[in-house]
Amino acid sequence: MTDNGNPYLPHPARILRVREENSQIKSFELAFTDPERHRAFTYRPGQFVMVSVPHGGEAPISISSSPTRPGRLTLSVRKAGRLTAALHRMAEGELVGLRGPYGRPFPVEELRGRDLIFVAGGIGLAPLASVVNLCLDRREEYGQLTVLYGSRSPADIAFRDELEGWRRAGVKCLLTVDQGGEGWTGQVGLVTTLFAQISPDPGRSSALICGPPVMFRFVAAELTRLGLSDQDIVTTLERHMKCGLGVCRHCHLGPKLVCAHGPVFTLAELRGLREAELA
Amino acid sequence: MNDHLILKKDHTLSLLRRLMREHRLVAPLRNRHGDTLFSEVEDLAGAELDLEHQPQASLKPFLFPQQETMFRYRLDGEGGYRFEPPEPGRPLLFFGVRACDLSAVLYLDVIFSKRGRDPYYFARRRDSLLISLACNQPFANCFCNSAKTGPFLEYGFDLQLTDLGDRYLVEVGRARGAELVGRWRHFFTPAEEADRKAQYQALLESRSHFQRQVHLEQAIRRLQADEPLPEELWAGLSRRCQDCGGCAYVCPTCTCFTITDQQITATEGLRQRSWDACTFGGFTRLAGGHNPVDPGREAVRQRFLHKLLYDVREHGRPSCVGCGRCVGICFGGVDIVRFIDLVCEVRQ
Amino acid sequence: MAGLATTFGSGAMTNSIEEIGQAQVILAVGSNTTEAHPQVARRIFAALDRGAKLIVVDPRRTRLAEHAHLHLALRPGTDIPLINAMMRVILDENLADDLFVEMRTENFLALRDMLFQMDLEAVAAITGVGLAAISAAAQIYARAQKAVICYCLGITQHICGTDNVQAIANLAMLAGQVEKEFTGVDPLRGQNNVQGACDMGALPGVFPSYQPVENQDHREKFERAWGVELPSRPGLTLLQMSHGGAGGPIRGLFVMGENPMLSDPALDKVRETLTGLDFLAVSDLFLTETAALADVVFPAASFAEKTGTFTSSERRVQMVRAAIPPFSGCRTDSDILMALSEAMGYRMDYDSPAEIMEEITLLAPIYGGMFHDRLERSWGLQWPCWNRNHPGTPFLHKYFFTRGRGRFMPGEHQGASEPVDADYPLILNTGRVYHHYHTGTMTRQCPALNRECPEAALEVNPEDAAALKLRTGELVRLASRRGEVTVRVLVSAQTPPGSVYTSFHFPETPINLLTTAARDPKAQCPEYKVCAVRLAKV
Repeated sequence: MTDNGNPYLPHPARILRVREENSQIKSFELAFTDPERHRAFTYRPGQFVMVSVPHGGEAPISISSSPTRPGRLTLSVRKAGRLTAALHRMAEGELVGLRGPYGRPFPVEELRGRDLIFVAGGIGLAPLASVVNLCLDRREEYGQLTVLYGSRSPADIAFRDELEGWRRAGVKCLLTVDQGGEGWTGQVGLVTTLFAQISPDPGRSSALICGPPVMFRFVAAELTRLGLSDQDIVTTLERHMKCGLGVCRHCHLGPKLVCAHGPVFTLAELRGLREAELA
Repeated sequence: MNDHLILKKDHTLSLLRRLMREHRLVAPLRNRHGDTLFSEVEDLAGAELDLEHQPQASLKPFLFPQQETMFRYRLDGEGGYRFEPPEPGRPLLFFGVRACDLSAVLYLDVIFSKRGRDPYYFARRRDSLLISLACNQPFANCFCNSAKTGPFLEYGFDLQLTDLGDRYLVEVGRARGAELVGRWRHFFTPAEEADRKAQYQALLESRSHFQRQVHLEQAIRRLQADEPLPEELWAGLSRRCQDCGGCAYVCPTCTCFTITDQQITATEGLRQRSWDACTFGGFTRLAGGHNPVDPGREAVRQRFLHKLLYDVREHGRPSCVGCGRCVGICFGGVDIVRFIDLVCEVRQ
Repeated sequence: MAGLATTFGSGAMTNSIEEIGQAQVILAVGSNTTEAHPQVARRIFAALDRGAKLIVVDPRRTRLAEHAHLHLALRPGTDIPLINAMMRVILDENLADDLFVEMRTENFLALRDMLFQMDLEAVAAITGVGLAAISAAAQIYARAQKAVICYCLGITQHICGTDNVQAIANLAMLAGQVEKEFTGVDPLRGQNNVQGACDMGALPGVFPSYQPVENQDHREKFERAWGVELPSRPGLTLLQMSHGGAGGPIRGLFVMGENPMLSDPALDKVRETLTGLDFLAVSDLFLTETAALADVVFPAASFAEKTGTFTSSERRVQMVRAAIPPFSGCRTDSDILMALSEAMGYRMDYDSPAEIMEEITLLAPIYGGMFHDRLERSWGLQWPCWNRNHPGTPFLHKYFFTRGRGRFMPGEHQGASEPVDADYPLILNTGRVYHHYHTGTMTRQCPALNRECPEAALEVNPEDAAALKLRTGELVRLASRRGEVTVRVLVSAQTPPGSVYTSFHFPETPINLLTTAARDPKAQCPEYKVCAVRLAKV
């Protein structure tokens, strides 16, 4: 991270492939233009990079690929503001700038041997996908894997290829949509309604959650009801960020900074922090 | 141990003129509209040095400018999306710095050392010299006595001057100060016991001249107690906050910033870093519109807790230096002194 | 302007802004002070800290209303009956300043007769404000020794704008709350120099210093100074120009620093008028919506690039000095005007802005002592400033009103030009937000301000939102009889049930497509504050 002493210096990276996940989400596979840098680039699940888009500034985007698949660097991006809209307009072969990776990753080492429940809404599956793929690549190190995924409507279900692959690899993938539609025979309702279909052993289960604050509140309450301790409920938070280095303070969470102390936090760590929006 | 020397006021300007050959001199100047501001001195003879009034802004803009170019970026067709940082300027010499402002620089040093030294800040800070002026006469809104940052400094300066009428008592602090005195030895004479006594007397008198009673430590103790402050206290303050960001801009220790790209041509632009303020509603708002902070009820919460609680936990001392500038600038009368007073009232 | 001119004789703040901080009672009517005039709000807060009482009259629960001891949330456009009722209470409670009325005013009997005939119960029904609150407000205001009324566009941008202002002036005179320090009637002006523009005769009927064009003496004075013959009849008002239609009387127009294609009501009509002109020239800092229609655009210099004066709301004439030379190709307003004039065959011969000001001191009596060298040395001078030795005037009407005696101008309630009905069941109220200035020509260029307020929001009361099943962040089509826009909803209790509120800063959401061109017949100010609309989810 020394980068010639300037931690703010972005490095050019080329968009190799763009995959449209749904009308709002695209996945970008990237490679640093400097092959040496690309080879040397390492990260851990849950970390993010600061992405520069020409004339558009920078934004934090979590990495959705897994470090167990070297050479792959994938970012899944929902069109939310100016920068992400500009990124969505970019095509294969175009350049972005990257610096990082930043942030505290998911505790994948500590989670070894445990059953993992992944709970995500919409784009929230992106950072969790990194962990799911890592677990699959080190299958024997982890117990049962369950993915609960909520989308707004059947058309909004993203990461379909990924989900299909996980299913084939033996991951229990349960989907739900807020509003059903023609041809949808699956579950309708919030992601919490999927909990009726699982019965985790609280002693050997941990949950990894990513989604909007209101979803996290309800999911956390449900997991607590199932007997999971606050230590075993882990989430990753999305915040406005400018530096990624713990200086600019846009991502403050009361006394903590999401870029430096997070973005991954256990529920135990978030209790009592008003800005965590648990109440 | 501090050396104690005497510098005659008659010779101060000629010393500064010498130092200006290697440094850009920044000192409190009175402009033609009657405002006193730290300014870069181009022509020492023509400048009106003003050591009588508190400069309206701190040193912050010289070390961490309101807006600065981080990179010039260029795009070209073949594999180019290049970022070039600007060249650093000449080293800075700050003269006539009050204790509060110098203490603030020591805080900035810590903040900009986090996770990789900030190259822009340290390019300006690294070779800078700080010559401070002990405060013989606190100003109307000052409370550095309560913040324990003044009115006289015990460390942190390169040289500290104390006004003794026709001469300054000079204390040598950091190594760079000793170097300066060593190189320009003929400007200085050793201080006598009487000079040191006079300085002590000035310190005592200065302490008795504070007009405000601000109980900073009491407020910090109250904040450290676990029970939260009443919601109505935060909401009342936020209702009054007029969202101007003035407090953060004049604050010598507020360092929140934003980064934006400014396009110049289709293939060129500047990446700029500019001051920001945690009191602004857009500071925490996400691209999709969600805001984890409710600006209507908690606009000033992060600012006050960061300064008086979080920094005490992290650095062992608050990051309010008691300069009082926010008291003068706040449109809503909800400056940090009002907050400290309210917190102390809650405690009773 | 017109309202205070007929009652007091002078259409400007009677006080200095600083005085508001010392008032015992502040009555803020139709002013979103914290958003639009933070420097005034600052003084109101200072007064509150000294124990002053604040009464806010506004349909919306503004930030200022949250600080009020009394918030009278009247129905939009019902200011006159509310203020009349306050005056009736003042009479009934024997709180009128009889001596002041006797010595300083005229036409009181007409007002008294009208007040005694009014039906207070009906007022409560019309305004939606209970009589107890009206009575409390009247008593607090009249009993104070030093009370100021601040009002703004919530008063003037109505079809009865002039009568609204006159009602306020009546109230102040009846309670004797004028002609003293810390006491008065203060219209808060918007743009930093709108006061100066009025002072300099940028109005259809007056020369600089409010000297009517019909007056032969005034006219001859200016004819002598300028060596030309001047018209003896008033010119056209803003809307007469921008709403004249494609075949209107005006064939050529020069617009300086104004963006009627966003700021004027009923934009379709403005577009028709401007595109139907033979010739349109615009000078502005950026290519505004109006400039985009022009045959010729003059790139103008900004405040930082020119020297001259601005006149603030408190009649204070202040120097502004060029900090940087004009950006390449841009020229100052006076430069553009002089070059244009010369090209048209009339040479304006001034060496400097200071010399222009010297001519102003000669011809505009209220600016008689405003020489640049004096202004240079101070924070400015407040008019009237009659000569070089005059210290300026912090508050107006000391000892006597400008027009001699203050004149009571009784007025009665007038319904809005476009009442709501089954097709258009909601009232649209428009205003400004803190982070943007007018049509955003300058502020929308600033990344920080755009971040703070990136787009227009339509405030909808939670009751109405529930009925229409709307949530914050959803897009709605907002339509009036004249046009429609798509805008994002902000569910907010700040706006009362039955009305919606938004701002006009955003070219992406040109809200003035919807507003009505109906206007106050006296001041010709459009009714921006009330028009009937409906909403539908997109």
